[in-house]
Parts: sequence; structure tokens; C-alpha cells
Amino acid sequence: MLRHILSFEGRLLLRNGVFWIVLAVFGLFGFASMASDNVSFGGGVGNIMRNAPAVVVSLLCAFSVLSVLLSTIFVAGIALRDFEQRTAELFFATPLRKRDYLLGRFGGGFLASLAIMLVIAFGLWLGSLMPWLDPERLGPTPWSAYAWAFAVLVVPNLLFLSALLFLLATLTRSMLYTYIGAIAFIVLWTVSSSLTSDLDTRWIAALVDPSGGAAVDEHIRYWSSAQYNTQLPQLGGLLLGNRLLWLGVSALLLAAAFRLFRADREGLVLRRRKGAAAAAAATAPAALPPLAGSARLRLPAVGLREGLAARWTQYRRLAAFDLRASLLGAPFLVMLLLGLLVILVALMFGDNIYGTELYPVTRQMLGTIRASMSLFLVVVVTFYAGELVWRERGARVAEATDAYALPDWIPLASKLTALAGLVLAMYLGGALFTLAWQLGHGFTAIEPLLYLKGIVLDALGFMLMAALAVFLQAVSGNKFIGYLLMIVFLVAQAAKGMLHFDHLLYSYNATTPLPYSDMNGYGHFLGAHLTVRAYWAALAVALLAVALLFWPRGTSLHWRDRLRQARARLRAPVAATLAASLLAFAGLGGWIFYNTNIRNEYVPGDLAKERAADYEKRYRQYKDLPQPRIASIRADVDIFPEERRLQIRGHYRLENRGDAPIRDLHVRLSPDYEVRRMEFGPHTVVDADKVHGYTIYRLETPLAPGAAMDFEYEIAARPNGFTVGGTDTQLVYNGSFFNNYAVLPQFGYSERAQLQDRNDRRKHGLPELPRMNPIDDPAGRNANYLTTNGDWVDFETVVSTSSGQVALAPGYLQREWEENGRRYYHYKSEARVLPFFSWLSADWKVARDRWNDVAIEVYHHPTHAWNVPRMIDATKKSLDYFSRNFSPYQFRQFRILEFPGYQTFAQAFAGTIPYSESIGFIADLRDPDAIDYVFYVTAHEAAHQWWAHQVIGADVQGATMLSESLAQYSALMVMEKEYGPRQMRRFLRYELDRYLGNRATERVQELPLALNENQQYIHYRKGSVVFYALRDAIGEERLNAILAEFLRQWAFKGPPYPTTRDFLDLLYARTEPEHHPFIRDLFERIVFWNHRATVAEARKREDGKYAVTLTVQAEKVSTDGKGKETQEPVDVMVDIGVFARPPGGSEADEKVLYLAKHRLTQAETTLELVVDELPYEAGVDPYNKLIDRASGDNRKKVTVVQ
Amino acid sequence: MSLDIPRGMFGLLGPNGAGKSTLMRTIATLQEPDSGSITLDGLDVLANKEQARKRLGYLPQDFGVYPKVSAEAMLDHFAVLKGVTARGERRELVQALLQQVNLWNVRKRKLGTFSGGMRQRFGIAQALIGQPSLAIVDEPTAGLDPEERNRFLNLLAEIGENTVVILSTHIVEDVTDLCPRMAIIAAGQVRLAGEPREAIRSLEGRIWRKRVEKEELDRLVHEHAVLSSRLVAGKPVVHVLADSDPGDGFAAVPASLEDVYFGELRQVALASAPAKAA
Repeated sequence: MLRHILSFEGRLLLRNGVFWIVLAVFGLFGFASMASDNVSFGGGVGNIMRNAPAVVVSLLCAFSVLSVLLSTIFVAGIALRDFEQRTAELFFATPLRKRDYLLGRFGGGFLASLAIMLVIAFGLWLGSLMPWLDPERLGPTPWSAYAWAFAVLVVPNLLFLSALLFLLATLTRSMLYTYIGAIAFIVLWTVSSSLTSDLDTRWIAALVDPSGGAAVDEHIRYWSSAQYNTQLPQLGGLLLGNRLLWLGVSALLLAAAFRLFRADREGLVLRRRKGAAAAAAATAPAALPPLAGSARLRLPAVGLREGLAARWTQYRRLAAFDLRASLLGAPFLVMLLLGLLVILVALMFGDNIYGTELYPVTRQMLGTIRASMSLFLVVVVTFYAGELVWRERGARVAEATDAYALPDWIPLASKLTALAGLVLAMYLGGALFTLAWQLGHGFTAIEPLLYLKGIVLDALGFMLMAALAVFLQAVSGNKFIGYLLMIVFLVAQAAKGMLHFDHLLYSYNATTPLPYSDMNGYGHFLGAHLTVRAYWAALAVALLAVALLFWPRGTSLHWRDRLRQARARLRAPVAATLAASLLAFAGLGGWIFYNTNIRNEYVPGDLAKERAADYEKRYRQYKDLPQPRIASIRADVDIFPEERRLQIRGHYRLENRGDAPIRDLHVRLSPDYEVRRMEFGPHTVVDADKVHGYTIYRLETPLAPGAAMDFEYEIAARPNGFTVGGTDTQLVYNGSFFNNYAVLPQFGYSERAQLQDRNDRRKHGLPELPRMNPIDDPAGRNANYLTTNGDWVDFETVVSTSSGQVALAPGYLQREWEENGRRYYHYKSEARVLPFFSWLSADWKVARDRWNDVAIEVYHHPTHAWNVPRMIDATKKSLDYFSRNFSPYQFRQFRILEFPGYQTFAQAFAGTIPYSESIGFIADLRDPDAIDYVFYVTAHEAAHQWWAHQVIGADVQGATMLSESLAQYSALMVMEKEYGPRQMRRFLRYELDRYLGNRATERVQELPLALNENQQYIHYRKGSVVFYALRDAIGEERLNAILAEFLRQWAFKGPPYPTTRDFLDLLYARTEPEHHPFIRDLFERIVFWNHRATVAEARKREDGKYAVTLTVQAEKVSTDGKGKETQEPVDVMVDIGVFARPPGGSEADEKVLYLAKHRLTQAETTLELVVDELPYEAGVDPYNKLIDRASGDNRKKVTVVQ
Repeated sequence: MSLDIPRGMFGLLGPNGAGKSTLMRTIATLQEPDSGSITLDGLDVLANKEQARKRLGYLPQDFGVYPKVSAEAMLDHFAVLKGVTARGERRELVQALLQQVNLWNVRKRKLGTFSGGMRQRFGIAQALIGQPSLAIVDEPTAGLDPEERNRFLNLLAEIGENTVVILSTHIVEDVTDLCPRMAIIAAGQVRLAGEPREAIRSLEGRIWRKRVEKEELDRLVHEHAVLSSRLVAGKPVVHVLADSDPGDGFAAVPASLEDVYFGELRQVALASAPAKAA
């Protein structure tokens, strides 16, 4: 019987056109995600094969959830069919067993979704065969991965989802509510991924993600590309737990569906409602007296009005009527609640750095609302456009109301208004929620006006989308075709970006970005943003006019009738509106085109890459061409913030420090800047390349070795309208920040502008290149890695700005004056500095302090004062520690300058540290347990005054270790003094996690720390861990002494500049040989130490002490740059620790009973230790000082045996 | 078809699918005719839909409601949409309408809890907003129980006293009871138009009835012009049309509108049958 039902379902499906369409859509999606470069959906990056087993598994896992968006149609459709077609009673009257019936219906839905997944898998496989794919990025077809993914992920997921939808469908008897359930599920699924940003909640995320994706990620997150390419996740641990959990849940869901299934036609009737209905029936008047035929019908005379006031009333009332009904409808409330839930999760778990939260500033809240609500707003707008346009028809009221003397525009305008009301209600709900969150966190600096602005600006986009949705509904004349068209639109929106069709002019509802900064507000971004919005709004009005022509009225929706009707409706007001809006559309479009394509150049993403390739092909030949070095810089910089204009008059003193005459001068300057004057010795122009901003001049008299020349220039930059991607964030109304690389002429070829991604390079026919010069490259040694243009220089600048602002640049303030209503500042550096400068201008508040004779100043936005004392404190402690342990501080001032959060970093210039408003200024450090990254970032940037501004690495591999890794180490030391080793352990866990997690994204190859090629995950993250371990091995004092000696040797020296070789030589020379293998492993190789405590038992001795038996496993693995691993013999000095903990206490309360270094040489070692108190935990490398890919298993809870 | 409809109740009788609703919708400006014209008190309806709509009241055959809205609020809403935007006027009107259709006591109740009859009365209240000079009521009594139907017809009769009311129905008694004038349409054509009394008079003395056995039925259909046969206490009772006593045990009965109606339908059937045979 069951088989019969299933085959019946199968036949029905195969005859269903929609099913084939859905199969085709998903098959295509699968195909594209494998075969197209431009559809990057969870695919492999860098060295990971496109069809690597782990990639196939992740893709299939994600698809198994996403497919629910369409497979719900079938799963719920099959479950509901008998009720919708009212054949249920027929079925239930037959002797069919309930079990067979239900299993059959469930099985049908399950098979439908399985079929979809099989087609996706087929699409993936087919995609991987396409001839245009780079064969280097394809491995053999991983059949086992397909099988594994289906067995472990896809089939259980489909079972779970089918069971969930089946249950929802049987309970609610409503496709709508089932769909809402499906969407809710997708949302929760998405949300669970935000749990992964906090290290301590990752395991929860791995368990609660019903798709198993997070659990798989947890298993493979530290994999190298080689592992991605060859291995499958192990079915154990969290993954196994997750699978069992959700299979169990699926079984429960199915059981519930079977139990709650009712054969009658009513769905689940809630008790309350049943009662209400009964009560209503009871109060119904038993019998009204029949009206006597003689009674006269008497009605008051009323006027049917049609004036403007009447129309306004009608519009208002209908809009309110529709809005009220929608606001109270379950779908809206569900969407709103889901949105609020996402906001809550984002507030709780998102936006943290090292697990520390930000102050809930309104700007941040608006960002959260936007990010959390947009998905739901898309659903609400799409769904309610259909609901509202067809509301009268759905309720079977339309035939009556369509005969009313009501103009067509009133329902159209009312529905649109109701939709707009829904959008605003979503935002308002979100705003009230975040407002409560702010107040709940004791945050009272709320900005109501900003809320208002933010909501209106964000809502505009959705209102335009609403206009489109209403248009599609009205013109298509069918709710479901309207939905389908809207979905096609949304998919096309997503697809075209991937295909580099990114111009604003053909992408409905696109606009330029509108970043908000507390310092700069919406700044100049607002104008362009609103212009493009107006452009699309004009089209929206035209669409609405067309919608009005085709507004469904009357009983016939045949196209013939509607066209005739539309012609009849095309009267003067509509025609005029249509014409005017199209005219405005064309006019604004022309204006935008003029801005983006004529005043500026429109460079789509693929063209930008092509240009980068072209740049390399043309100019890389000059990479080693000797160019003069800058010996001194004098730049007069006039900043006009209100006009976003810049004028620079500069002078370089150039010297030929090589041993051959320099004949050609290669000058690089962004082509956006206007060169008004460029004067230097007699010369001719050999080649002027305006596209790449690369000009080759020939000196009439070559610059002889040792000779010097002057180089003067006058440069102007002014904004020229706006571009597709928005305008630049360097010159803004308040908070301008730019550096000399961006605005001053540079010399010679720069490798920074090259295409970095190997796949991009291959695509553009470029050879593989080392990212940096080899460590022993002699030319590289002669330049520092910041710039090849100069060594230690003198720097002087006069910078001016408008009277309301302060202008800053590195150097001591010599003089300050006002002239012509502008402020002038003259800065001059007194120590020798690297040619790396910045200029800033803003209206700041200044906090001042001193450390010895160093003036400390923090220039901050007036409302961002929270962490300023902490920055000052960190500065003092850093200067103190570094000058005591390393060398004296070379400047007499230390300035921190806040700049708008368009970028998120802090950067150390000489004595001057621009610091983004997004990172330190709004960190909420009121919780004493929070990791104080403000302290850390400040200390790190302070450390750069030594590690970069005193000693700078040569332009070869490993250079960043000498600046970034040493700055990390220095900051860690200051922080440890302040917060203790326990905080350090938490901090280092994040560092270790980020190092290990980012290895897989390596685009070329992983290198040892001392050879790293400006790879951030190595020089920051691994650098922290490595130096902390080194300090642990040789001691802080000795390491600091070595660093001080290194500074003595190399401070303010170069060329030639030091390399990591010089540092390591010193390190080896000053340490005992027994440390050398370990140092080598840390710095010159890629090594993992995997430690694990397997047995921890304690026995109470007669003297009251405890004998602890601890068995530990040790493993040492080395890997090459691509992740190929080799087991190595174990020989390591490692901490062994035993800890006590008060009852109910946490790790913070633990007491060390035993902690000592032991030498492990075996894969498994059993240790006998004696401690004084009852132990709680024992372990190997308990503080995670070594690079261990499973850091959670180093400790084990001690079991006490008798 | 061509119809002239005076003030008062006008019955439009016809079987399902005869084109009644299409005709009604066309008059109600909801559908375009392929050709033809409709004039309402001298107003060309098809050319001036907007004007015509102001004089129209229409209760469609399949009239639904928003189940979660109360009768009063809904009627108020409809009144606004129809153009009664002055608040005081509207309040009075809504009250009067609800009282007239006897829903005043239940005005606060959700429409979803209304019975079929209450819903139809609500529907007619909606159609009466703004004193239409033409009320179109499409099969309003279908599905009502006898008492509800009675009450509803009484209401219609009152409306018919000063308005044109077009009542379409396939229930002959509705027309008999109410309409001074009527038309029978079938297969898209007007078969008969005029006063029911006259139509009945034309058959007076020509209708014969007999109670027969089921087995006889086939034979009778061949031998006589059978208008209708219906079961009475389990046995068929047959009406035949004959100018003189057909004998065979038939007895004369007074003609009714039903006989007129079935007579017309029979002619339509006969007219199409030879065509099929040919």
C-alpha cells in the first residue's frame, strides 16, 4: 500500500511543471557554483581545489538547507493537498491505514526534496567538468565526498526539514504558516552562525545548527588547504553528536505529526478560539422577527462626495484599514519577531573584538537593525505586496467594491502606503528594541534624531522595492506570477553583482553607499546617495503609473480586456505623471551618468583587475630600476574640508644613493590628482600613462652617484561629482585622513598594486611571483619594507585647514596661526623618521597628560570620551615598559587621533597614531573580565615607535616580524603586567584560533614566521603565540635584553636594513643550544604540538597529600607551505600543571598546585605527581602556550580513586 | 438580448450558466460586453462607468467579507469607499442600514461569525449605501434557509418600492413572490420578458399533472411535453403541457411560473436537440 502511495506521489511530481522548474533552477545553481568564477558560493579559495572534498561537503550541506526555500512547495503541498482539494474526506473514508497514508505523504515530500538535492549534486559534478575551468584548481571527482555528504548531512537534513514542514503543514493546514516556519528555520540557521564569533560558544553553535554545517566547520576549521583537498571530516565528536541530536529531533517531529494528525478537515483548533466560536454561536439571536412587508425602507439622504477632501479621506481610510489588518496578521508579526530575535543575537554575540562588546552607540544599533531586518523586510515587502494588492479578491469583496465609484488610484496608493507602513513598523520595532537594549545597558547617550534619519534613509530602499512589487503584482494580474517575478528580480539582483554588472544605472534600487560616522555624520555621501535614490524613485513613480493603468478591476483579467482598459485609463493625469516621471528618470540618469562615467571613470571590478594586470605587464620590468631616494620632505598641505579639496605644494630633496647614474625618473601619482606643477632639473617626458598614473621622465643630465637634486610639485585634488562605488573616504567634512603614499608623488614600480590572487593572475596570464623579495635579496636589503623611496628623512609640513578644525601631522608643532580665516600649523620632525606620514583634519576635543617629559594627547570626537583615560594609561605604561626594557623613546610627544570609522585600524606614524572610531573609542570595557583590547591596541601602536620607527626591516621576507610580531610581543608584556597571565591566556586563545583558522585561506603558501610575506595571520596571530612561547622558554628578562641589543645594533640604521636573519642570529647567540631546536621550530618552520591529557587520577595518601597520575599524549607535526604534514619525533619542554578549584568556582578562581616544565620524548607519557590539596584539573601545556590544534583537550578533570 | 427594466423588482430567471451573472456584472461595470449598450436613466453606462457606479448598488453572487472585522466597522469602511466621507452622515447611514437589514443588534460582531442569511443582509446593506437608483442582486437566496430567505425577500421587496432592483435567481418562487416583472434567459438569450402574471395566464388551462410510477416516466417523456417531474413522497409527479386534456389519468392544475420557466427551458432544449441530430 505504502509503495503504491509513494509511486502515486512520484507520478504526480513528475507531471508537475513547477517541480521541473525548481529542479532546473537548483541544478543550474549547483552547476554555477562549481563552474563559474563569478558565482562564489562557499567555494574553495586560494589553494583549495574547486571540487575539494571538504568544499563539496560544505556546498551540499548549505544547499540542503537552502533548497527548503523551494522544496517547501512540494513537501507542504503534498501534505496539504488532500485538504486543499477537499479530497481528504474521500481518503479518510477509505480503509487506508493512517500510518500508510501519512508515511506516504511524508515520503512523497521527502523524495521531492531528495530529488532536488540529487540534481544539485549532479549540477556540481557537471560544473566541475567544464573545459574553461583552471585545471590546476580541480582535483579528481571526490565521489566519496558526495556519498559522505549525502549519508551524513543531506539525507538527515532533508529528513529533519521534511519532518518539520510536514508537522507544520499538518498542524496549521496552511501553506503560509508552513512557509513562515521554513523561513524561520533558515533564519535560526543563519543566526546560529553568529554564535561562532565567540570562542566559548562555538561548541553550542556546532550542536544547535540543525544542518550540521557548523559542526563540520568546527572539525575542519584549522585545516590546511592540503587537508581540504584530500580529507573528509571525521564522523565523531561534535559532528556525531549533532547528527544524532537532529535525527532524534526528526523522529520526534514525525511522531508528533502522526499523533497530532486529525482526519477531519479542520486543522489544529486552539482551545481558546474554539471557545470563542462557541460563545459567538450562543449569542446569535435565535430568530429575528421577520420584517413585516409593510415597513417602509427609510434611509437618511447622504451625498456621495468626490472632491479632493473626500478622496483624501478614502485614501487615508483604506490605507489605515489595510495597514491595520497587515500589522495584526500573523506573518508580519512572525517576521517582526524573527527580526527582533536576529537583532538580539547580533547584539549579544556580534560586533565583538576578542569577545569584548562595543558601547551600544546609536550608529551601531542602526547598523544592527539594518543587517538583521533586511532579509525579513524583503520577505514582508514581497509577500504583503501580493497580499494587499489581491486582498479584496482574496476576501471575495472585490466584486462589490470594484463597482463602487472609487478611482483606481486610491486602492493603489493605499496599498503602497500600507506597505510603506509595514516597512516603517519593522524599523520602528527594531529601533524600540535596540533603544531598550541601550537603556538596559545603562547607555543613555541616545540620538533620537539619528534614529529617525537612519530609519528613513534605510526605509527608502524598501519603499522603492515595494513599488516594484506592487507594480509586478498589478501588471502580472496574478498573485503567484507576481511573486515569481519578484523572486526572479531578487535573484537577478544577486547574480549581476557576481558578474561585475555593478553600475547603478541599470540596477533597480541600487544606490551609492552611505556610511555613517559619529564624527562625520552622513557626510558628503548623502548627496550622491539621495540622487541615485531619486533616480530610482522616478522610475518607481513611472512603474506605479503603469500599475495604475493595469490595476485589476472587474471580473475579467484577460490581457485583451486589460489592454483595452489600460488604453481607456490613459487619460491626462496618468499620462502626465508617466511622462514627467520618465523625464525625471532620464534626467537624473543623465546626471548620474555624467558623474559616474564622464566626470569620473567607471571601472567595473573585472576591468580593475585587468588594469592591475596591465600595470604589471607594462612596468614590472622597472622593478629594480634604481631611483633616487628622498632625503627630505617639505610639504605645505591646504585642506578645505567643506569643499573636500586639497592643495599641496611640496619639495623633495632626492639623492642618488646607488653607484650608477640615474637617467630616468619614474613618477607615480594617482591619476585622480591634478598635477599643477612638477619641477626638477631639465627633462623630457618619455611616457605619460594617465590610466595607471605612471610617468617616465628622462633627465637631461643623469643624476650621478652621490649627487642630489630638488623635486618640486604642486598637486590639487578636488571631488568631481561621485562614482559608482561612492566617493573616497579620505577627504571628508570632518575627519579627513590621508597619507603621503596616497597624495604625494612616489618613484618607481610598486609591487603593492599587483594582482595578488594566484587564480586572478593565471586568468590574466601573469606568472606566479614571490610576494616579497627573498630574504637574501641584496636589492631588498637596501630598502626598508615601508617604502623603497627613502630611508630616514627630515620632514616638515605646514598644514592648514578651515577655522573650525585642527590639522595634524607627525612632527612637533613649531608655530600655529590664523590667516584669511584659516588655521595654519607648522610641524617639523626632530628625530629622523621614515618617509611615512599622514595628515588629519577634524574638530576634536583634546585630552592631555604627560609621561616624564613626553606630552600625551588624545584628539577624540567629543562624545567618544569613554576610553580616553585608558588610552592614556596604556600609553604611559607602554612608554615606561619599552623605554626601560628596550631603548629610550625618541620623541617628546605621543598623540592619538581619532578618525571616522570608514576603516577599522589604528596605524602608527612617528609619534602620531590615527585610531579608528570603530575600534577603541567605543569599546565597552565596563566589565572587568572583558579583554581590554583598547589597552592592547594602544600598546601595540606605541610599540611600533620602537618596532618600525626605530628599527625597520629590509624589504624582504620576514620584515613584518620585526615590526608587527615584536609590537605584538611588546604589547602582550605591557598587558600582562596590567591584567595578569590569565587574561593573556584568553587573549592568546583568540590569537591561536585566528592563526589556525586563517591558514586555509592562504592564497599562495604558508611560510614560517621569520619568512612571512606580510601575511597578517602569521605576523600578528602566530607572532603573538610564538613570542609568548619564546619568552616562556628563555625568560622575559633575557628576551628583552636581546631585543635591546638588537635595537642598539640597528636603530635608525639602514640601508642596509636588518632582516629576521640578523635577529635570529642574535637570538641563537644569546641562548643556550638546548633552546635552539625549539626556536627553530617556532621561527623557521611550521610546527604543531598536539598535546592531550588522557588520564588524570588522584589518590589521597595517608599524609593527606594527593598522588596524581597523569597520562599525556604528545605529537609533533611539521607541515610544508601547502599543508602537507609530516610526523616528527617528540622532544619538547612543556608545562605540566595540576590545579585546584573551590567548589562551584570557575577557572578564574583556580589555584596552581603544581606547574613545572617537563621534557616529553614519548608519544605517551605517564607522570606521577604529588600535590598538597584535592586537585580539580590536571594537564599538559595547560595554558596553551604552544601551537596546538586541539587546545581544548590539554586539561582533564581529575578523578579521585580510592 | 434586449431588456427594458422599469422601477421595481425585476426578476432574472435562468438556469446555471445561462449568462445571468455575466449580464449582471456587465451592468455593474465589472465586465465589458463584446457589443451592445446599457442605459441607466439616460446615462450610457459603458461610456460613463464612473457616473454609473455612483448610481449602482451591487450584491455579487459570491460576496465575501473580512472575517475579523465587525459589521459596523465594515459597513462604515464600505461607506467611505463609496463616497460617504462626511462623518456624521455616514454614522447615521450606517445605523439606519444596519437597523433596516436587522443587523443592528449584532453590529459589533465579527463578520466571520455571521450566518449565510446575515451575511447576505449585510451584503444588501452595502449595496444600498448612497441610495442607488439601480440595485443588482445576484442569486442572493442560494444557500439560505427558508426563514432567512423569507426575511431577505421582504427586504428586497421594500427596496424595490423606490428603486430598480434586478434580482437574478434560479429559484422560480423568488420571482413569483416578488417581482412584478421578469425575464427568463437561457443559453445567453432572453426567452421571455414581461409580467409573471401574464406569462402564467398564457399557460392557464394547459398544464396537467399526474402522479406516476417510476417505470412510466420514460414513456411519458416520449409521449407528452413533459415540463417537469418531481418526487412527491417518493413517487414522481409529472407536469405536462397540452392544449387539451391528455387523458391517461392527467388532471388539470393551475399554471404556475415554474411551468412557464420549465416550458421555456424545454423549448431551448428542443431547439438545440435537432441541431445536434443534424
